[in-house]
Amino acid sequence: MSALDDNAKEIAEDAGGEEIATSSREINTKEQDNGAGGPIILFFIIGLFASLILGWVIFPKLLYSKKKQPIDFNHVLHVAEVEDGCESCHFFREDGTYSGVPKLEQCIDCHDEIQGISHDEIKFVEKYVSKGREVPWLIYSRQPDCVFFSHAAHVKAAKIDCVTCHGHIGESENLKIYEESRITGYSRDIWGKSIGGFKKNTWDRMKMDDCAECHRKNTANISRTGVKTPTNRLIGHIIDLVSPGTSVSNKGGSVQTERDACFVCHK
Amino acid sequence: MKHKKAKKYGMVIDLDKCTGCGSCMVACMAENNVPFRKDESNKLLSITWMRVYKLTNGKPFPNTDICYLPRPCMHCEGQHEGHSPCVTVCPAIATDYNIETGIVSQIYTRCFGCRYCMASCPYHARYFNWWDPVWPDGMEKYLSPNVSPRMRGVVEKCSFCFHKYQLAKEKAFMKGRRELKEDEYQTACTQACPADAITFGDLNNPNHAVYRMAKPDPKHHGRPTNPHAFRLLERLGTNPKVYYLSSREWVRRAGDNYLENESIAKKPAHHE
Amino acid sequence: MKIDRRSFLSFLIGGGAGTALSPLPWKLMDDSSIWTQMWPWTPVPEDGEASYVNSACTLCPGGCGITVRKIDDRAVKIEGMKGHPVNNGGLCILGLSGLQLLYGPTRVKTPLKRVGKRGQGSWEKISWKDAISEVAKILSDLRSTGQSHTVGCISDSDRGTVPRLFERFLTVYGSPNLMRTSSIIDSYELTLHLMQGVQASPGFDFENADFILSFGSGIIDGWGSPVRMFRANSAWRNTGGKIIQIEPRLSNTAAKSDKWIPANPGTEAALALGIAHVIIKESLYDAEFVDNYSAGFEDWKRFVLDKYGPDSVATITGIDNTTIIALARSFARASKPLAICGRGQGTTPGSLDECTTVHALNALVGNINKQGGIFAVAEPDYINWPEVEMDATAAIGMQKDRLDGAGSKKYPFSRYLLNRLPQAINSGEKYPLKALFVGDANPLYTMSDSKAVKKAFDKVPFVVSFSSYMNETAQNADLILPNHAYLERYEDIPTPPGMPKPVISLTRPVVEPQLNTKHTGDIIILLAKAMGGNIADAFAWNSYDACLKETLGNKWQVMIKKGFWSYPDFFVQTHEESFDTISGKFEFVSKETGSLKQFKPVNIEGDKTNYPLLLMPYDSIRLANGVIGNPPFVMKSVDDTVLKGNNVFIEINPKTAGEQGLREGQLAMLSTPVGKAKVKVHLFDGIMPGLVALPRGLGHTAFDDYLAGKGINFNELIGPVEDPVSGLDTAWGIRVKLAKV
Repeated sequence: MSALDDNAKEIAEDAGGEEIATSSREINTKEQDNGAGGPIILFFIIGLFASLILGWVIFPKLLYSKKKQPIDFNHVLHVAEVEDGCESCHFFREDGTYSGVPKLEQCIDCHDEIQGISHDEIKFVEKYVSKGREVPWLIYSRQPDCVFFSHAAHVKAAKIDCVTCHGHIGESENLKIYEESRITGYSRDIWGKSIGGFKKNTWDRMKMDDCAECHRKNTANISRTGVKTPTNRLIGHIIDLVSPGTSVSNKGGSVQTERDACFVCHK
Repeated sequence: MKHKKAKKYGMVIDLDKCTGCGSCMVACMAENNVPFRKDESNKLLSITWMRVYKLTNGKPFPNTDICYLPRPCMHCEGQHEGHSPCVTVCPAIATDYNIETGIVSQIYTRCFGCRYCMASCPYHARYFNWWDPVWPDGMEKYLSPNVSPRMRGVVEKCSFCFHKYQLAKEKAFMKGRRELKEDEYQTACTQACPADAITFGDLNNPNHAVYRMAKPDPKHHGRPTNPHAFRLLERLGTNPKVYYLSSREWVRRAGDNYLENESIAKKPAHHE
Repeated sequence: MKIDRRSFLSFLIGGGAGTALSPLPWKLMDDSSIWTQMWPWTPVPEDGEASYVNSACTLCPGGCGITVRKIDDRAVKIEGMKGHPVNNGGLCILGLSGLQLLYGPTRVKTPLKRVGKRGQGSWEKISWKDAISEVAKILSDLRSTGQSHTVGCISDSDRGTVPRLFERFLTVYGSPNLMRTSSIIDSYELTLHLMQGVQASPGFDFENADFILSFGSGIIDGWGSPVRMFRANSAWRNTGGKIIQIEPRLSNTAAKSDKWIPANPGTEAALALGIAHVIIKESLYDAEFVDNYSAGFEDWKRFVLDKYGPDSVATITGIDNTTIIALARSFARASKPLAICGRGQGTTPGSLDECTTVHALNALVGNINKQGGIFAVAEPDYINWPEVEMDATAAIGMQKDRLDGAGSKKYPFSRYLLNRLPQAINSGEKYPLKALFVGDANPLYTMSDSKAVKKAFDKVPFVVSFSSYMNETAQNADLILPNHAYLERYEDIPTPPGMPKPVISLTRPVVEPQLNTKHTGDIIILLAKAMGGNIADAFAWNSYDACLKETLGNKWQVMIKKGFWSYPDFFVQTHEESFDTISGKFEFVSKETGSLKQFKPVNIEGDKTNYPLLLMPYDSIRLANGVIGNPPFVMKSVDDTVLKGNNVFIEINPKTAGEQGLREGQLAMLSTPVGKAKVKVHLFDGIMPGLVALPRGLGHTAFDDYLAGKGINFNELIGPVEDPVSGLDTAWGIRVKLAKV
């Protein structure tokens, strides 16, 4: 018992000592406050603005490295020449897989020899066609390896227009600078041009939440493949809690069955 | 809009035909970019999505008998759709039950390697990547782009070659179809089996061979009504989608834990 | 202005608030999680256009058709070819792993010349031009000094254009010493020659047979053309066909058979005679065939009835006489019975008496050249090259006796006796071997008594290997002229062993040659051209591909399209015209040898007192034991009761192990008269007491780290035993002792 009492006393003493120290500090602060209220707010504002500038302006410049495409491709010029729109060059193979960026094989029919006076075309023919080398195009919309995306499902089965995800790239006369995240090695176009992640058009971003947004709008009521990302699931749960019955999540499903087939889009 | 009846892809493995040759194991490894190491003799660490087990009846010479049993992931449905042992415990939503196909998925990039699912899987169908996958110089050339190579620290398992389902769907879309025919989606092990011991298809479709072979009883969570068919650890109630056929009783007994004198549970009688 | 602590804190708070309101932390979090999920060092296979190429597998003689899936110019998966007459879609474990060989570390990347000691592994790169002129120089020197016959060549096959180019080269150069790796096919060819008077390979119509009596043949362990056998086995499950397996160990085949009869090891021929006894005694044989189309039956009948009654056979084989009688009756009464032999995968030819006796059983039930029976299949003669013009040197060389003794007075019927080569070199009884070409073969691994083989090789001053992979023989060669891997070259694949109809498959390039290799056919042609004279004249082709195209003629286009050429017009000869023996009939007792098919136990090596147990090899489809060693995927499929770490397990009956004081998993020393090895013990109820079984296919010293140094090569523990009639290796096992270590 006595040992316990001793301990208690020590603790009390310690606490008392602290109290005294704290009160003396308070006095000091009050003294300074009188003369330095302005600078403190000023420093707050400096800090605030500096970090905002850092985050919004400098950070994206540091994060992304800029790369020029090997050849400056003019989509407008080519779209006018072909009959089948985008699919003339970005075609589906017989087995339903999507060819993506054209290979030399498709270009060679016309560009066997130099056609015009464009500097880039001359470069293309001399550097790649005549040497049989593939052009190392930088692909703006390349997704990480864990993503499986079926063009056939979206374009052939669901009849979605290319523009919905890729925007009006077919109307461009130049290829824009390719920006690559130094951390992930993927294109800036996935996250979107806006570093804040804001978007106006469906094609502004290509993150999982963007897939989910469209799927929730368009497929939630026809199939059970509404994409559930961790974020929109959380939102769904919150909506469920706040006003039950309004969210689009499947009714009657348990916690387990509510998630579905992540591997429809992930491999 | 009315829901189409969901598929329930499953497998029937005829153990009378299985020769234990191991083609299924290797076809799976080749199809799914499974890594390998210099010493693979510690089978707890050796990643084999499909593994062929050797069973013996334990009788002395000359009454000994052996049987091989290929074990993919069972893609358990559980007592309710999606109550697979592994899916219910995953804290990361890295493994999932797909209602459309009945396939249990594994998303490597979501998995953080806690290995709960491995502990809960009664079939040892799940494997952990203790090491980064390394292919000898030049050998990465044969890696398939349809399946992502896994990184160190995640769990992997058989996916019923789900990527083949995806590719078959894409092909069907080109022809304006949304439904797949039986032979359009077949797993790598099924295709490779030189003995034709593995059959794969939709257990919900009476026209598919798997249905006719296993004769699943929907009233009892798909329990087979074919007297030669059985499922592994049936009595655990995991409701697996892999059925085995054997004409030998000792093999069927080996599929579950029976007491010494207990007879294999009679199928509940339904004489409607 | 004084910046004090409070201002600084305020700055930080402002900074924190600003950062939180900026995208920086969120974007960083997102990017870093993507980074951690996709480590840059985890390979990302590049996507592209999928295509399929039909070709043929050459990794074993099985001759399966394959379809290779490609993504752009990479081969990504090998599958069985649908519609191929051998495998129709299925594929074995080795065939499925082929890409690990194509892109693997065991490939020989460029021509190599040995520096330093043999087998040391020090090589220098050499240009193709230098390599070929070096070989040409050595060959020219030997030839000009009248030693052309001292050049030998070992190949796994003597069929198809590449082995025939080797043969043509040796003929016009002047050496009779072309040797083929031996197998049960040698015994069967000899049997067909002696009993039917034909030069042909055996073709078994398994698909139509309904009762298979297998004297130890590993029907589903890799015997014959493995995938075809798997398919036949499954077909019997559907049609009710029966397999009876006779062997002392419960192999996979035994386990899958309808009845497993464990006979004492090495007594299979006695059992066959016992069965013949019952069939003859009970007049169950096919009298129509025996009476009209056979000769010597009466002599044989007397002999069999005299000596091989069920009781005496029961004593020899350890099988109940009632079992023997029942077996004989069900065999004879089956509608399409078929008896086969060749233990395990049939890598050892075995006793000629055994093979002829088993063949006599087939004749008794009259299933020679008949649906569901055994056919004599002559290799289609699509290779019709102009005769070579031999000069005097070549003629003299070709008249010399073969070094291996095949075709000699002692062994007049045999064509190749590779098993006798090491002894012939080591004893120096005839003449030395001055140069040796090793084509598609790996004798330093596959031949028994490895030590003697190595010694013989060391006596050959110049060894050239044509191997695509760094195998044991290549490792011990002086020069390696690496062939393209099979997925990089054209080649014809002749009829696989056991096929009842001839079929030629076409191996074709699936990918561009990945390394600085050259087709063996091209090397032979270049070498011939470098030698000049008659030799060059015999090889008028510009390249191997041109030679192949010309040889195949109108078949070429079909083979390019379909991947194979089958002979739809291949017809079965009637019994009147099938037999080309002296009597013109099937001979139960060969007039040429005058010998009766009897049971003479093979005297295996070792005495009973020092070596109380018997060691037998066993074959598994998961252990490649031929030219190719297991690729990593196949190694991965090997059970942990076969290999653990670097230790191989022997199988032993628990009873025998108990007598030896051995427990499961224990280390033991295995010694035979030929060699010894440390092994682990695995107790297996399915093996006859007194026997020890060791898997073939392990114990490689070459290839890669995934294979080398694991387990024991069975051939280090056993030596060949010559058959008195054929000279082929008959050893089915060896006596052994086991001791704890």
